[in-house]
Amino acid sequence: MRFFANTNIRFLEYRRVWLSVSLLLIALGLVSMIWGPGLKLGVDFSGGTQLTLKFKQEPDLARVRRALEALKLGEVTIQRFDEPELHEFLVRVQNPGREEDFSKLMVEALDREFNGSGSAELDLNTMGADALRDALAQADPDRVGGGWESRRAHYQTQATAVLQARKERGIFAGPANLDGVSALSPAVRSFLKERAQFGEFTVLAAEAVGPLVGKDLRKKAIQAVIFSLLGMMVYIWARFRLPYSIGAVAALFHDVLITLGALSVSGREINLPTVAALLTLVGYSVNDTVVIFDRIRERLKLERGKPLVDIMNRAINQTLSRTVITSGLTLLVVIALYLFGGDVINTFAFVLLVGIVVGTYSSIYIASPVALFLTQVLEKRRRQRTGR
Amino acid sequence: MRKNLTWRWVLIGLVTAGAVFVMWPPQEKIHLGLDLKGGIHLVLQVNTDDAVRAEVDAAMERLRQALAEKGFPPESMARTEDQEGFTFKPAVQTDSAVLDKVLEEKLPEFSVSRGVTITCRLQDMVVRELRDMAVRQALETIRNRVDQFGVAEPVIQRQGNGDRIVVQLPGVDDPARVKDLIRATAFLEIKPVVATADSEQELLAPYGGRVPDDAMVLTGDVRDVTDRIVGKRYYLVKKASVVTGRDLRNARRSQDQFGQPAVSFSLTPEGGKKFGAYTGAHIGEQMAIVLDNKVYSAPVIRAQITDAGIIEGSFTIQSAEDLALVLRAGALPASITYLEERTVGPSLGRDSIVRGVRSGLAGLAMVVVFMLAYYRGAGINANVALILNAVLLLGALAAFRATLTLPGIAGIILTVGMAVDANVLIFERIREELGLGKTVRNAVDLGFSRALATIIDSNLTTLIAALFLFQFGTGPIRGFAVTLSFGIIISMFTAVFVSRTLFELVLTRKSGKGPQTLSI
Repeated sequence: MRFFANTNIRFLEYRRVWLSVSLLLIALGLVSMIWGPGLKLGVDFSGGTQLTLKFKQEPDLARVRRALEALKLGEVTIQRFDEPELHEFLVRVQNPGREEDFSKLMVEALDREFNGSGSAELDLNTMGADALRDALAQADPDRVGGGWESRRAHYQTQATAVLQARKERGIFAGPANLDGVSALSPAVRSFLKERAQFGEFTVLAAEAVGPLVGKDLRKKAIQAVIFSLLGMMVYIWARFRLPYSIGAVAALFHDVLITLGALSVSGREINLPTVAALLTLVGYSVNDTVVIFDRIRERLKLERGKPLVDIMNRAINQTLSRTVITSGLTLLVVIALYLFGGDVINTFAFVLLVGIVVGTYSSIYIASPVALFLTQVLEKRRRQRTGR
Repeated sequence: MRKNLTWRWVLIGLVTAGAVFVMWPPQEKIHLGLDLKGGIHLVLQVNTDDAVRAEVDAAMERLRQALAEKGFPPESMARTEDQEGFTFKPAVQTDSAVLDKVLEEKLPEFSVSRGVTITCRLQDMVVRELRDMAVRQALETIRNRVDQFGVAEPVIQRQGNGDRIVVQLPGVDDPARVKDLIRATAFLEIKPVVATADSEQELLAPYGGRVPDDAMVLTGDVRDVTDRIVGKRYYLVKKASVVTGRDLRNARRSQDQFGQPAVSFSLTPEGGKKFGAYTGAHIGEQMAIVLDNKVYSAPVIRAQITDAGIIEGSFTIQSAEDLALVLRAGALPASITYLEERTVGPSLGRDSIVRGVRSGLAGLAMVVVFMLAYYRGAGINANVALILNAVLLLGALAAFRATLTLPGIAGIILTVGMAVDANVLIFERIREELGLGKTVRNAVDLGFSRALATIIDSNLTTLIAALFLFQFGTGPIRGFAVTLSFGIIISMFTAVFVSRTLFELVLTRKSGKGPQTLSI
């Protein structure tokens, strides 16, 4: 099998058209970033407290909102997480300018709203294994008697088994779920069925970033981006002649700007993993450009005197099947990540998805044309100088 | 190169065996990050101002007592605004020689400046030391507490030399309780009670509404028989404690005389001596058991007590256990603020692994099938290199004890895509050379040598990005940077070295001349 055998597409012929398309896309992105909804910063950078909650059944979101707004912790955002039938939500508050254990306050407020007061005792959807073990050791349904420590030891395995069952389900819907937990003795099972509560929600994850740390993370992310861009430029500068370096860097900025635009238009949040994905796509984009430039350099040595446009077109054609296969395979993998990776990693995959497409395109239609243009300009100048 | 194939095989074999050896069994050898196995990550700040303030308070108390003994109790005393010192106004008739001597003796770590009022400030170096000590003590205390509730592989580290501490506790299933346990100041004091009353005015009425210099006002809850809080009681207690949490030898959950949960403690021999002397001399008086500036109970001393005591309050079993735990582990020298919290519940982590692995396998399968279909014989070669790449990557993670995070899994998946790039570059080049009419032997040699420069060039750029990510990244991002860097380096080995060796195998199989055609 072979795609693109001996193609001879004159890529650079229509470079002005493609350049305009790129500029248009960048402009659209900038418009969206500046006048539109803008880039949304996630908890990592903006600070705030975010809980990932799983409910037993579809909750009344107005109640969630009401409970959280009563805390006066700033704007409340509620967003569905993952598939609708899982009843999972991201709820977030903007921390006021003080440092406090906000996640605790939020959980307590939601607990009051959904589980009423005084139900905190023995709620199997929120308590940990240690607390359950101690509660069982105190009530002693198995009637093992003896000292406190020996009773604790006795109930340890059963408590762990209950937590393991919750881990697999995400949340207990009700007492019937305990039937599947084989490690429970009949006495403990009936004790828990009778006495335990099954709260309306459980906390899958909590993230709280105070203003100090948020500022820190912002600084670090910006540093990481700037320094890796600089590192990349220095490397390209060292390896290629000036017009090519500028071409590669132009392609780089093109890719980052379009991807940021896509993030802005799609309304996705920027968090630490998003920045990691951006940097990866920077690396990928340069990688792709370097392969084509390497080939141009090789051909320049072989075919002195031939017009640069032809040499570039030839080089792009010769590397075309590699470009398409590598990008295609990486894209396949990223699509798998995008589709099956889950919501936690979705934006990460999205950035790579956009980035790989744009990065592949820009190596052909941005990097090479810019290098071509600059070489021509430099040559014209040299000719003028020597002609004088 | 054709002659010494053996050492190539030996090297590949050794590296592979080594990788499998260090990573097997993967469930144990690959360290999962908190985002995958669940757990809690906290960045907390030790409010070292508290420790400085406590030191200044103690010094003020020392000075006040010393001057009072000489017969010149100071007229007034107050902490400075920045908490690092205090000013006081000596009594008018104070003998300046006595004052000098007292200042020198009692406040060696202060610099003193005189005027109408005297300002004493802690020396800068002392302040720095106090702050540093507070952080180190807090670190030690938190470590003790974490050890007591038994978490496997906890990380408790000071961030640089500052006042922040990072705590990572994998596998914790009750983050709310753990957060409370870590943050509890748990400063226990037993203080003599001067007076008690139901309101502050009533309490201070005999003193003209002013708190005496050597005393302080504390409050405690009043409960009815069903343990409901029904009111507040005010206590005027001496500032100087009889014993504090530092004198504790042990603490454990127990019961009071009504069978309610309580915490009993025992004292060190030295603490017992102090306690025995005090209680022996003050039978019939009240003392307050104070925890974090709240009065838990104020029993009347009925007999001399030397080595033990009990804290009663309205405890549940759990809260009594927890209090005993933090008392055993020691008090924090300063309060703590949580700056950052990342908790991942066990079920979310599990879900992430399942999905990460599923999408990884799906991606890998697609790549493998494509390579076989497109490059046929050589596709097998590339796939062997690819799978070896994955094995070596896991081996490297295990060997360097790197942590696998969710972005790290994404990094591995991405590496799979990028690792074939080197093979694609080489294969395409070989095809080109074959197309130009070169012999198989020549085409393979040229394909590898010409693609090599490009492979190194292009991989280095990605490596640069990964290194900066590692440098500036935190937690999960670092995990991503690590897998990406390892993946890139390993892919150069597998795609260039391993796959070259596999080609040599085909090329030299038939002795004498190599094959006339190549399945590529």
